[in-house]
Amino acid sequence: MVKNVIVVGGGIGGTMTANSLVAKLYPEVSRDKVRITLISNSPWHYYKPAFMYVAFGAFYKNELRRPQASLLRPEINFVLDEVEGFEFSASRLRMSSGKTYDYDYLVVSTGCIPSPERIAGLQEAGDHFYQHDPAMQLYRKLATIEKGRIFIGVTFPKTPNVPHQCGIAPMETTLMLDEFLRQRGVRNQIEIVYTYPTVSQLLRNCLFLQKDTSEVLPAIFESKDIKYQRGFTLARVDPEKQVAISEEGQEEPFDILMQTPPIRAVDAVLNSGVSQASNNEGWLPTNRQSLQLEGFDNVFVMGDTVDLPISKAGGSCHSQSPVICNNMAGLMRIGKTVAEYDGKVQAVAQMGMEAGMPLWYDYDVDVKPTPPTKIGGLMRKGFNRGVYWSVARGLV
Amino acid sequence: MDNTPTAMTAAHPIDRVLRASPELQDQATLDGMSDLITKVAPLLQGRRLHNIVDLLAATSDIVEMADDAMVQKLMAFYEDTTGGVWAVGNALRYASARAARAEAPPTLWRSMRRLRKDDDARRGLDMAVNFLAELGRQSRATHGPMPAD
Repeated sequence: MVKNVIVVGGGIGGTMTANSLVAKLYPEVSRDKVRITLISNSPWHYYKPAFMYVAFGAFYKNELRRPQASLLRPEINFVLDEVEGFEFSASRLRMSSGKTYDYDYLVVSTGCIPSPERIAGLQEAGDHFYQHDPAMQLYRKLATIEKGRIFIGVTFPKTPNVPHQCGIAPMETTLMLDEFLRQRGVRNQIEIVYTYPTVSQLLRNCLFLQKDTSEVLPAIFESKDIKYQRGFTLARVDPEKQVAISEEGQEEPFDILMQTPPIRAVDAVLNSGVSQASNNEGWLPTNRQSLQLEGFDNVFVMGDTVDLPISKAGGSCHSQSPVICNNMAGLMRIGKTVAEYDGKVQAVAQMGMEAGMPLWYDYDVDVKPTPPTKIGGLMRKGFNRGVYWSVARGLV
Repeated sequence: MDNTPTAMTAAHPIDRVLRASPELQDQATLDGMSDLITKVAPLLQGRRLHNIVDLLAATSDIVEMADDAMVQKLMAFYEDTTGGVWAVGNALRYASARAARAEAPPTLWRSMRRLRKDDDARRGLDMAVNFLAELGRQSRATHGPMPAD
């Protein structure tokens, strides 16, 4: 009997996992014992981290996307449709097209959605770089501002110990912004203020979600005349007065508000009834070692959708994907999972427009910050422009 | 010139640096350096280490010269190459696996019928013809007759 494996989500996690599953299960796939399907609601695959470069005019739309089907091995059945309902108990997916799909094994990699509308006034007056169109809107402002105040803030999920999307992005973009404005020759007339909320996962009153990195930031910011402020948790925005108001009671004026917005899981995950996350954020309860959905051994969760304390970023998916492939193969072949995720995340942080800093951490060991270098910057550029697509194909 | 060791150590700034470095007060560091010097000594004596230093200098020069445009062009080449090889490899593996699955190969008539009915098969044939035509055009452009100077 054919086993149906369905991967939901055409982001980096779903794409690399579908490709890697074909490789891992090839003996079964080639004999039609296993059928692998990837479901995505978009015909395009977007390299999402490149959206932050769009905000600085450094990437065009066609450079950061590929047709989804062109990134998949031919053994994968690609379905362009949207999941409307996850029926985990029945191992069934209800689609917006009206179709249903039954599965034997499921991978949920549906990402997260920036939701600025969850903070009053933020949608109208704030900007962010986590999607293409908002990033373009931010670019238009950054490319024309001559003087004033750019206020940078970060919103964490309300679910305890769950990070915001791509933990290092606010710091990366702050340093990129400084260099971008210097290149434009307007930096002296523009004040940059970097802020961080009072609660950031397990830390309090820091500048970053990990202590070691938080401690090196003041010196970096001071060397670039970037102001910084702890304990600013954005509560609401007054679009008319252009003022950001914090839960701690401060009011800060801005000409541009660059705010990492609240995030949530996609509607179908939110409505599945399985999540125990606060504030209707929808993160799925995920076994931190096996990456199985709690209570459903045939379902695996990865990427932004998990409720784990690790970065919601491609660098997490890259380490989660082999664990899921091994565990699914283990369940099929010997009836048990065999691999454990150690929380590893790896990336090359963009530190300004030219420099980069390779980093890695896991559940137990935080990032050890090292001096940014030009070689690090070249590594990041090389990844952005080429290696990423090999990662999506499951080659790296 | 005073060559007595006492005078040299007192006067030489590098000695002060060596003494101030906590790593160099560690016996493991000194043992490691001693091993390293033993390995490097023949290279230094034969002036072969110079080549390694030149190689490092050339690598460093390339890093200095690399800019955004160069990275984009190199990575476009990388992506074209790996993407192309991956796509052709996929097609070969998939086609081969499908062809091997049937106990007996299809009759010529059945293959012709598939070619007539399957749009993708006809598109593949058209792509192969286009590929051959492009090879021919390039051959003419490279090796074809040129007017005399």
